[in-house]
This record gives sequence, C-alpha cells and structure tokens, in this order.
Amino acid sequence: MSKKLTVIPEQCSGCKICEIVCSIKHFGVNNPKKAAIRVIVTYPHPVMRMPVVCGHCKVPTCVEVCPVDALCRSDGLVKLDKNTCISCYKCIEACPFGAIYAHEDCEHPIQCDMCGGDPECVKKCPKGALRLIPEAALGESKRLNNVLSYTQMKEIEFYEKGEKKIIHYAEIGKEEL
Amino acid sequence: MTIKSGYFKKHLHVNLTKRSAKRLELSDAFIEKYIGGRGFGAKLVWDNLKKHKFKIDPLGPKNLLVIAAGPLTGVYLPSSGKCSFAAISPATGLYGDSSAGGSFGVELRQTGIDVLSIDGRAKELSILFMDNEETEIISMPELKGKTCLEAEGIILERLGTHCVHVAAIGIAGENLVRFACVNTDWSRNAGRTGIGAIMGSKNLKAVVVRGHMDLPVYDIKKQVVEADKAYKYMEEHKYFKLWQQQGLMNVIEYANEKGILPTYNFRDTVFSRHAKINGTEMVDHYKIGDSACFACSMCCGNICLVKNGKYTGTVTEGPEYESCAMLGSNLGVDNFAAILSANSLCDELGIDTISTGNLIGAVIEGYELGILSLSDIDNQEISWGDEDAILHLISKIANRQGIGDILSDGSRRIIEKWPEMEKILLHVKGLEQSAYDSRAGISMGLSYATSDIGAHHTRAWTIAKEMEEGQNWSDEEKVDIVIYHQTLRPLFDMLGVCRLPWIELGLNERHYENFYRYVTGRNASLEELLDCSKDIYDLTRLINTSLGTSRKDDTLPYKVYARPALTGPNAGKVINRDDFQKLLSIYYKKRGWDNNGLPPDSVKKKFEN
Repeated sequence: MSKKLTVIPEQCSGCKICEIVCSIKHFGVNNPKKAAIRVIVTYPHPVMRMPVVCGHCKVPTCVEVCPVDALCRSDGLVKLDKNTCISCYKCIEACPFGAIYAHEDCEHPIQCDMCGGDPECVKKCPKGALRLIPEAALGESKRLNNVLSYTQMKEIEFYEKGEKKIIHYAEIGKEEL
Repeated sequence: MTIKSGYFKKHLHVNLTKRSAKRLELSDAFIEKYIGGRGFGAKLVWDNLKKHKFKIDPLGPKNLLVIAAGPLTGVYLPSSGKCSFAAISPATGLYGDSSAGGSFGVELRQTGIDVLSIDGRAKELSILFMDNEETEIISMPELKGKTCLEAEGIILERLGTHCVHVAAIGIAGENLVRFACVNTDWSRNAGRTGIGAIMGSKNLKAVVVRGHMDLPVYDIKKQVVEADKAYKYMEEHKYFKLWQQQGLMNVIEYANEKGILPTYNFRDTVFSRHAKINGTEMVDHYKIGDSACFACSMCCGNICLVKNGKYTGTVTEGPEYESCAMLGSNLGVDNFAAILSANSLCDELGIDTISTGNLIGAVIEGYELGILSLSDIDNQEISWGDEDAILHLISKIANRQGIGDILSDGSRRIIEKWPEMEKILLHVKGLEQSAYDSRAGISMGLSYATSDIGAHHTRAWTIAKEMEEGQNWSDEEKVDIVIYHQTLRPLFDMLGVCRLPWIELGLNERHYENFYRYVTGRNASLEELLDCSKDIYDLTRLINTSLGTSRKDDTLPYKVYARPALTGPNAGKVINRDDFQKLLSIYYKKRGWDNNGLPPDSVKKKFEN
C-alpha cells in the first residue's frame, strides 16, 4: 500500500457519513459506534471537525505494546490477527491518536483495514475531506499554504470588458520583520 | 405486511416528580399507525390530554414532553439526523412541535428506545442522563443561569466524557420565556413553540444521551443501494454545490428578488441593502467552515467568524435564512456581523430567532408609530438598524427584565397589554410568523392560518410555487397544494429525516417509500404513509379543537389583510378577507371537517386506543 489515507479537517462538515459506511462495510449494521473512524467535533473555541482514523504508522506504537504480537505491520498496513488477539486493549491506550476503537458487542478492537485498498469512507465522503494520497505527495497542500502565508497577498480590482475582476499577487519581502 | 424491523419497540417514560423511569413496550399497531417522530408525539400528547380531562397548563407538571426520532433516524440515507419535540405549547396553548437536526436524535435512538416522554417536575434543577439502557436523573443546581454552551461544558465535565449528545435549555428556558428553544449540538435548535420553556418548567436543564446500540434495519443491502442512489442524485444536482457553500443563506437573495423578504417588521418585502446580508457576503467575509447534520451531504450549516470590528471573535454556526431575515432585514440591520452576534446571543440564551425577530420588529414599529411610549420601552430608544439596542433587548427578553418580561410571554400578552399592537404584530394562534411574507400568495396565508402549531412555514411552504406558477390556479388547486404539503412535509418529521433533500434538490419522495420499506420490512406504499400523515394532521387538529380552537382562530395577522407592502414586485398586495374565508371553507370541506373547522366524531374514534 503506497497510498496514505489522509484527513483534510478544513473540508470536514462533521456529517459522520464515514462512520456509518464503515460500520456497514465491516459489521453489516447501521451503528456509528462500530466504526474504525470517528469524527471529533469541538466548539466554539476552537471550532474543529476532524475524522480520526488509523494512520498505519511506520513505527506503530500499537504493535510495540501488543503483548501477544497480534498486531504487525506488513504491505504498508498495520494488521490485527484476530485469532491471536486477546482484547486487552493495550493498543487503544498506546495509540497517540486514539484511532483504535472498541465496542461491547465486538470481540476485538476495531481498527482500520483500509477496506483492502479502496476505503469506503473515502468513496462516500461528500466533502472530499478524506483522501488517498501517495506518500511522496503528503503535505503538499500545507507546503503551498505555508509559502503563500510567507508572502503578503495583495488584491487589485480591475475592469475587463466592463466586468469587474480581481487578481491576487504576492508582494514578497514587504512583511514586517 | 407488518413491521419486521426498524424499531426497538420501546418507550421510555420518565416522571421527574417521582424520579422514576419506566421502559414500556410499543405495540405493532401503534408503530404502524403513528410511524414515529411527530406521529408518536401527537398521539402521546393526545392520550395525556385525555388523561387529564383536557386541563393542562403548558408550563405545569402535567404537560407531557415527547422527544421522538423516527425509524429512519441515524440510518445511512440522506440527512437522517432529525428528532421531534412535541408537547402542549406554552406559546399557543395548543399542540406544538419542533424538530432539531444534528446527531442528538441518532444517539437517543441508540440508547434502544423509539420515544422518550417526560412529565412531572424535578425538585431542583436537574439533568436526565440516558446511558444506553440506564437512566439517571442527576440534580445539578450549579447549572442555574448558565447558557446552553456553558451548561453543556459543565455537564461534560461532571460526566467525564465528551462522547455524549446534549439537548439543553438556556437562561430563557429557565425563565419560562414562551418561545424558548432547546439547543442541541451547539446550534441545532428545536426552535419553535416554546419547548425550552417546558423543560424549564420541569426543572430539566438538559437531556443527555449516550447510546451504542445497532439501529435495527430489515434489509441493509437494499437500504445501502437506495441510499447510494439518493446521494448520487443529490451530488449531481445543479444546486448541490451552492447548498454546500451557502446553505439556506442562498434564500435571502431569492426572497428579496421575489418580494417576500420580511423587512422593517413586514412593512416591506424587499430590502435595499440585501447584498450586505446575503449568502455571498457571508461566504466572502465570514464563513470559515461547513457544518452538517448526521449523514447529510448538503451541509447547510455555515460556521461563521467575525474577524474585525466590534463583534470580533463572535463565532457561531449560522445564521440560516430565517434567523438572518428576522434579525436582519426585518429589523433594518444591514451589518452581517451584528446579525451573527444576535444569532449567537439567541442560541446561547436559548430563544427562538424567528419569534424574537418578530417581537423586536413590532416593538420598533410600535415605538415609531407612538403605540409604545418611551417609558414603555424602559426609556431606552430603539430604532431600525440600532444594533446595540436590539442586542440589549434580546438579553432583556431572555432575562425577563423591563419590557422584556412582557415580550417574553409572546404576542398574545403584548396585545393584552397594548391592544393597538394587534395591528403590527404578525402571529397566528400566538405563534409569530416565519420569514416568508404571505400577502403575495394566498396559499401561503392559508398555510399559516391552518398550520397546527401557528404561523410557521414547516407544514406547508407554497409561496414559491404559487408565485412561479400560481397565476391561473383555481381556489381548489390552491387548497389542494396546501393540503398536499401539510401531508407530505410532516411525513419527514415522522420518519425522522430532513426534508431539504426533497424540497431543495428535488430528491424523489419515492426514495423515502423505499427507505421505509427496507428499514422496517413493512410493505407500505407512499400513499399509505401519506394517509398516516394525514391522520396525524387530523389528530393535531383534534387536540387543538378540543382545547377550543375553531374557525375564528384560523385567521391571519391584521397586516396581511390591511397593510400592503410598500415597494418591490408585490407592492400593494394584500389578502382579501372574503377570498380567504372562501378558501378556508373549501379547505375544511376537503379535510372533511365541518364549516366551523371541527373534525367529525369519526376522527375522534380513530384515536381512541
């Protein structure tokens, strides 16, 4: 798996479609509490809507703490061997993002399996807040934003064939140091 | 075919006086007949009325508050996050209900019940905490005087979790303001008919829910296929992106263009400075994010932040069209930041923006016309667009100070005190009018007059259709369309879903027939469901007529008959009283009610069990 499931919180509306389609795909039920992804909503300060989902870390703490080696990382994914797992939930405590879940009806922790490479949540997100991005491209939008914030944006209004238009350009080096 | 799934078949009844909670079974017959949401609400309110021999003080312990989601709530299908709150309304003294979006209803269902009813009165300010199958009434006097958000914060801390959903009232609810609302998920309110005051009268600051259960569905495969089709249809609609971007705020422009935008307390119906308060202005200068109810791809909520000026730092979800029109153009306010601030204040204090905008508009006009003296308004001048005075008056209403104490009892009390105000206040049966003017469309007038909760557009919103294609409608057609809306629109409230995908993006109503079929396993056609909905309308009418409503109450505000809008495409138009009475007679006939608007005995028999 060379692509990463990436969250773009600015795009998220908090509709929780990702949660419900995940529970349907993996458990065949309508129950957002049985999803491997959860939208965390905070308000009013700060206002955030952000899905939390397993990032399949390259150095996964969940794998490290598992006392029975039920978790391992292969083909770019952190995988849970349900036959070995004893449901001690050490992995839930260890995950720095809280991205592994549990439910009293389920025998084992609920952890993202990327739906075999075609995640349901990415397909059904109506806002494009969940995306599959090649690792080499990770962070590209942040880089662009950072570059743009480094310069001072100026706005110019002008008229073209009687129609009002606006262009933006960067005045480099004019910001107060 | 009978119900096979889709319900827990459980009714939780809580009596706050006895501090008892009982789980009761719901019979298949009950579920089939009343479907859910508003249907359950109306039936339980009716039964409770009969139990108390039709003598219920809306703000007394006997009034039963019913909170019910529908069979489709929380299921994967467009906008399935709705939940109805029903009771005898303190605003009208009649049947009242209001629905809230967000995720509260979903979580409520996940505790394993279909309907929650609450009566009695707690000794001190309390919350009701439903944690899956456990129910607890917790005294929390420290919540007194807290805003909805503050209360939510304190509750989360006390319970030690952030994974719950809270439906709370603000100061206005505690102070029994007759149009206080219930606030869920920050700013998804059950806004109308004063449900918040009912909670306040029961000393119930909040209902807190945390549920983990699977939602029962009969055929999940078919449900998902149908839902995918519906979402795809919505996504491909030409206005889908506009809805994601502006939500209901795009209606400001439309309403202004059509001449139905309330302006200066409905004195006018176009607002010259509409461009300063419309959706484009919001997107360009204030919007910082989207917000959606459960499973909704349209995300009509807008999170807005004021970035400069004296309201800097105000952040709120909203406003939507009604709030923006009632607190904006209707009060002559053209500063979007001030509207945001007023909206946010209303949410925090827990009062309905529509009623608030109406009443403040009437105060400004009343003072301008000399009906109210300076001492009547506590020696504090107020005029159109006076942001500070308006914000101040909002707090005074919620805190019942000065003139706010009279306003907080709603239109009827104001008219009692100043009879001349009858001529400028817009209300039907005590509920203030929504932000669509009806003088240009008599069908909209009929809709307000015959709505079971008072002058609200939720039951039938026919104004757009009438103005676009209604020139040659016969009287019969006008009545038909109102009844059709009053039948179909409440069905959404019964199923527990939002009607916007249908009314705004044209999602075919047949989808809902299929959803209902796949979720419940009951092979009911849309027509059968509509018959159920029509029966509920008969039932709410029966509740109202049992409490004294008749033809004389199905009327319109004075302004609608006598004061035409001054400018715009509908300048000069009013509704003719005789035309309206003619329409009303046809309406009663088509409903099967007598000429005085009373349903026949056969209707009463239907709801005996």
